[in-house]
Amino acid sequence: MIDAWVYIEHDSGEIEDVSLEIVGRLNEIKASLPLRITGFSFGRDPGEIPRKAISQGVEHFIFLRNDLFSFYDTQSYVNGIEGIVRERRPDIILLGATYQGRDLAGRLAARLKTGLAANAITLNIDEKGLLYTGVPGYGGRFIAEIVNMKARPQISTVRQGIFRKLPQDNSRSGEVENIEVKFGDFSPRLRVVERVRKDVKDITKSERVVIIGNGAGNNLKPIEDFARLIGADIGVTRPVADRGLAPRDIQVGSTGVSLNSKLVIIFGSSGSNHFVSGIERCKNVISIDVDRNSNIFNYSDYCVVADMFTILPYLNRRFGGQ
Amino acid sequence: MKNIIVCVKVVPKTEDVSFDPVTKTLDRSKAENQINEADKNAIEYALVLKEKYGGNVILLSMGPMFFEPFLKIGIAMGADDAILLSDRAFAGADSYPTALTLASAIKKIGDFDLILCGEESSDAGLGQVPSQVAEFLDLPQALFVSSVEIEGNKIKARRSVKGGYEIVELPLPSVISIELGINQPRFPDFKRKRWADKEFKIKVWNMKDLGLNENIVGLRGSYTFVNRFIETEPPKRLRRYIEGSPEEQAEKLYEVIKEIIE
Repeated sequence: MIDAWVYIEHDSGEIEDVSLEIVGRLNEIKASLPLRITGFSFGRDPGEIPRKAISQGVEHFIFLRNDLFSFYDTQSYVNGIEGIVRERRPDIILLGATYQGRDLAGRLAARLKTGLAANAITLNIDEKGLLYTGVPGYGGRFIAEIVNMKARPQISTVRQGIFRKLPQDNSRSGEVENIEVKFGDFSPRLRVVERVRKDVKDITKSERVVIIGNGAGNNLKPIEDFARLIGADIGVTRPVADRGLAPRDIQVGSTGVSLNSKLVIIFGSSGSNHFVSGIERCKNVISIDVDRNSNIFNYSDYCVVADMFTILPYLNRRFGGQ
Repeated sequence: MKNIIVCVKVVPKTEDVSFDPVTKTLDRSKAENQINEADKNAIEYALVLKEKYGGNVILLSMGPMFFEPFLKIGIAMGADDAILLSDRAFAGADSYPTALTLASAIKKIGDFDLILCGEESSDAGLGQVPSQVAEFLDLPQALFVSSVEIEGNKIKARRSVKGGYEIVELPLPSVISIELGINQPRFPDFKRKRWADKEFKIKVWNMKDLGLNENIVGLRGSYTFVNRFIETEPPKRLRRYIEGSPEEQAEKLYEVIKEIIE
């Protein structure tokens, strides 16, 4: 039996989609391999987390309980999981490539003296339990398939929006273990003083996305109006996020998120390699840019060489706007 | 403030790396190299902290000798010292031995208050070295940080979390990874560049200097290997140009969009 663990990341009981996407992929692999899927979380109170995870394909759940887990400190979490990993010796540990997952994975792998891969966009396991992870390099132009034959567990983070989670099925059942973590004389050296969080839209699943590129300058309103009129969510390119105009959560590309949309419309992007890898999985791509030679047009179905601010008023009026 | 150590990697420019379909390997030989972008943001941030709180900025890198001129660019930007960890045995390292080697050098430097890294490199881009350096040094860490304030022996760092940020408090010393693109790295100072090129000597430390052995560094100390490279095939696109006056373009675009969304 191959023992695979998935970090079920949550924020106050709300499970991250990517954790369940990994569980979804493992369930596909399980169809042809003897695989046991264990979820694990940290917190003060398990609440509905184990039940929700089980309804989406986790077979066994470990909830690590301690008051210190109410905020994220890398060392507390690594210390909290280390003992049980050493005792149970899972073959594989997978984490979402979120801020927290990426922060946790490296330290955990160093602590356990094992290798890791990161931002995987393909996941395969062979009959010996070897994990093959496809890691995009050089802005997503190549995928390096990484394998760790030397040590267990094999650890990797997995990119968001790549795999599909299973539909929720409340008739699924699984074993839940609540473990009280004892820390001895450890106390965290990091303290969270302030937390500012807005609910951000997960655009990896949006059917329509309008992307604002740097060519838009600071005049975002006509594009935002257009997005609203066609019922699309907003994404941005990296330079726009770098300028602080939008959160990283909606930044598209190899250093941000990948889209799976039916329609994506891109305003004022030059089409850098790390950006276009984020729109590869979209069905229809339309781009508007002033530069006829812009690389973005090589990655577009429909190419409009024009000043977006001349086109947008017509377009907005046509879609019923002012 | 004591020393600020900045971990720096030199990487090939992404667009210069090509794929050889026959050997199924990456060809970096024609690629121009540069300081990894996020590491440049970290150097810039270290210089800003130095201006505010004092201390010296020390650049630390692991790699072949051709990294030297790139470290001198950092010196010309204003860094005080640079150490290159260079040894044949270091080649082929994945993140574990890389972090172990860097951490050994940091212990050897000894006198430091802060370790800054770029959030990740543009080549493999695993972003795991900062976390692992922190583990090997048993120091607290805050990653994806966009600003740092120092009050006494405490750091207040702003780190990105989903949908926003947290202000976290850590003791000195700690390991901080700096978010890509948070600042505009300054240009190297012309006079300082000339001095660095002519007179400045980069310290070069090898495996023995760090008290390490060949079983725990480089390829032999690595846990992962690349099974194969796969070149990603971009999807075929129609590349149909919509021409005409802006009004005509908008009208045609309207039709195209309507057809897709209906």
